[in-house]
Amino acid sequence: MSESTAVQAPVLKIENVAISYETRYGDVEAVREVSFDVRRATTFGVVGESGCGKSTVAFGIVDFLGANGKIVGGSIKFQGRELVGRSQEELRKLRGDQIAMVYQDPMQALNPSVTIGDQLAEVLTVHRGIAKKEAWQKSIRMLDRVYMPDAANVMDRYPHQISGGQQQRVVIAMALLNNPALLIMDEPTTALDVTVEAVVLDLIEDLKRDFDTAIVYITHDLGVVARVCNYVGVMYAGEMVETGPVEALYDDPQHPYTQGLMRCVPRLGTTKESSRLYPIRGRVPAPKDRPKGACIFAPRCDYATEKCRSEGPKLREIRPGHQVRCFYAKEIDAAAWQPPAGLVPDLAPPPEAEGETILELEGLRTYYEQASRSVLSLVGLGEKQYVKAVDDVSLALPKGKTLGIVGESGCGKSTLAKTIVGLESPTEGQVEFLEFDISIPVSQRDMDLIEELQMVFQNPDSTMNPSYKVGQQIGRPLRRFKTVPADQVRDEVIRLLNAVRLDGRYYDRLPRQLSGGEKQRVGIARAFASRPELVLCDEPVSALDVSVQAAVLNLLLEIQREHGTTMMFIAHDLSVVRFFSDYVAVMYLGHIVEIGPAEAIYAPPYHPYTEALLSAVPIPDPKAEQKHIRLEGTVPSALNPPSGCVFHTRCPRRDLVPGGNQICEEEIPPWRYNTGDHRIYCHIPLEDLRRLDPVVTTS
Amino acid sequence: MLVRDYMTRHPVMVEPSISVMEAQGVMAETHVRHLPVIQEGKRLVGLLTRERLRIPPTDLGSLNVWEISRFLSNLKVRDVMVQRKDVITIEPDATVEEAAQTMAENRIGSLPVLEEDIVVGIITEVDLLVQLSQLLGAGVKGVRATVRVPDAIGEFAKITGAIASRGWGIYSGGGVPAPKHPGYWDMVVKVRNVKKDEIAAVLQQIEGQELIDVRDV
Repeated sequence: MSESTAVQAPVLKIENVAISYETRYGDVEAVREVSFDVRRATTFGVVGESGCGKSTVAFGIVDFLGANGKIVGGSIKFQGRELVGRSQEELRKLRGDQIAMVYQDPMQALNPSVTIGDQLAEVLTVHRGIAKKEAWQKSIRMLDRVYMPDAANVMDRYPHQISGGQQQRVVIAMALLNNPALLIMDEPTTALDVTVEAVVLDLIEDLKRDFDTAIVYITHDLGVVARVCNYVGVMYAGEMVETGPVEALYDDPQHPYTQGLMRCVPRLGTTKESSRLYPIRGRVPAPKDRPKGACIFAPRCDYATEKCRSEGPKLREIRPGHQVRCFYAKEIDAAAWQPPAGLVPDLAPPPEAEGETILELEGLRTYYEQASRSVLSLVGLGEKQYVKAVDDVSLALPKGKTLGIVGESGCGKSTLAKTIVGLESPTEGQVEFLEFDISIPVSQRDMDLIEELQMVFQNPDSTMNPSYKVGQQIGRPLRRFKTVPADQVRDEVIRLLNAVRLDGRYYDRLPRQLSGGEKQRVGIARAFASRPELVLCDEPVSALDVSVQAAVLNLLLEIQREHGTTMMFIAHDLSVVRFFSDYVAVMYLGHIVEIGPAEAIYAPPYHPYTEALLSAVPIPDPKAEQKHIRLEGTVPSALNPPSGCVFHTRCPRRDLVPGGNQICEEEIPPWRYNTGDHRIYCHIPLEDLRRLDPVVTTS
Repeated sequence: MLVRDYMTRHPVMVEPSISVMEAQGVMAETHVRHLPVIQEGKRLVGLLTRERLRIPPTDLGSLNVWEISRFLSNLKVRDVMVQRKDVITIEPDATVEEAAQTMAENRIGSLPVLEEDIVVGIITEVDLLVQLSQLLGAGVKGVRATVRVPDAIGEFAKITGAIASRGWGIYSGGGVPAPKHPGYWDMVVKVRNVKKDEIAAVLQQIEGQELIDVRDV
């Protein structure tokens, strides 16, 4: 890029844009007074919670707002040309092949019945009139460019035959084939595993540099913004409340909402003992309920005054390039902030003595039988194949503690939880919980056992019966287990609702009348209703916004401390797991590869897989230095896992194995015992693993 | 130093069907002076420059004020642009000096950069001046020395050898045939972290060469 481009006008200039949707309540203003510029070879991040209008802004740029959406004010200039107020046909010509979009779900952008090659080549043959053969070659080169392994062969495959990360790379390649001046990306990595996400984010960085593309990057993840964006705009309830260079905004956030967001996310390395998460009180108002003629954040702001409630602040420049929509940005000192009373629960101190072991797994295996494709299998003679979802897992969990389980999707986290809870039957191994043998399926289990072992699910929508009232749903376990006498069920439900910070009025509500965070609270209340000893939480906060996530984590902590409940916490977010767990197990392809106290997992010695995971986590701090370790390829099939160490096909540290690394392919690695309960499943001696530097260093 | 490294990618472009007034607006908004004119697929069909926007007064002489206004608003880019056959272009793999030469010979300020007739960028005189200034290390503090040397093999090596023997490094440099002195070349070098007198003393000792200028920049 030559220097002269620095003085050039922005590729995209958005000024005071307002977008409305026609609804049955009349026109609802989804977005208002949004302004920002995007220059070539820079990424502008739009960040905010769900319902804040991030995607509406993105769709507004290309005017894909649907039949009921329209831009009602302001100006959107692309390369000096006004886009607002033009006909669809004019817009189509103007956008031509200069603006491209990448969405969250790659499968929605790919045609499942057409090969990847045909889909890519079509872009060039149709838009550019390039000959088929040449288009094919160009498409292969572009796939290579987005680091697609074995690009020439991928061209002949159908979208379902490649992994999610690879699908997203195909979509990015397709977007780049036209060499667009502007690329709009809407949560492009949200559906991907952390290791795959890291590779895609690296790719976006490289492409920005090599193609000089201007990028608008929409995400809810503050860590991702810190990694890929140069500038960032924070949106709240349809308005841009703060915008500036990424370092300045993270270093010294000016708007109370941005400050609140930063306090919601656990930093990698913080623990529940050393720090607290502070949720933002209240919730994002629906577009029709937003305060009018006032600061939009005032109802949730700790600094709001009469002025904030009677007059809406304008976005104003506080430092060069750093703008904020707050009257008091200069006066507010974020460091002096004190949580208002009742925002976070007072936690009982953690249990001091190490409790007795309440859950013990020994050599647990859960295999799924897979029908062989051979003709012999039709008559029952075929060789049986197994998906080894959980393979030789041993662990012990003391009472009152939390075990976090992390790993990429498909590593067996959820199968492990399902086996313990009895939804799957173990193929082999000892599973003991209190005095119960829990290798029997849930349908045959004793009521006493079910009472002591409950579960909180990831998606509260699909686990609640939509036609039952909240009170009935929480009351059901109470009646079934006779936790309280029948005439006291209602009081107990209300007590539980209060415990999850919902008031008694929620008793008569239906699930559809609740927000996502509220539904998850009901799910938690239901799980804890029978006063269980062990609660399995399967990704309980991953579907929630950060401010709600903080509140739910606090709630889980509070209930756990109060009742001394033991928990298994399955999550893919390593910062959250570190924050919440006492012990952490890292799983890969059905095996636990490293297990130990949380602080031991996040510091050397690491298992090479743990090291790679930590190196991939996006950290919400643009100044944090992270080791650059990227895993090649995808998780192999559990149907036919690699021999020896299951991780050897992707291990970035194989050169550390003494005496050549042949051993990784041939022999099952030994458990290497570090201090305390910390053990690592690897051929590399502990001394060598200890010598590795920590993955993350913050200045 | 190829055109692809110094061109501006994603240049601002217009279609032939838009009005000249709108194109003028785009130029003002984006501060560019050369607009490649494209049809779908970013294929080049012409070039619009500021000069082309000046309407010769003879075209307007016979019109009254209302007619002028209508004439201007009906004027499309395709009516005033340089037609495709007259647009001089370059490939991204061409060298920067080829670009400079082409522009100088044809007295033009920009070259659309084409890959198989598709516009991938534009290189302008400003891009070349930026490169020239970088070539000579503009904006970097140091000592700039100009030595006039005979046009013979090994003369530049004497300069680099003398500088290297003192443990200094050349940050940037270049040479041109000495103006009005046939048979000689003027070599310019920039050296950082060194005093003007020190380097002058070293360069003056080289036999057969003449130190014609030395200054702190």
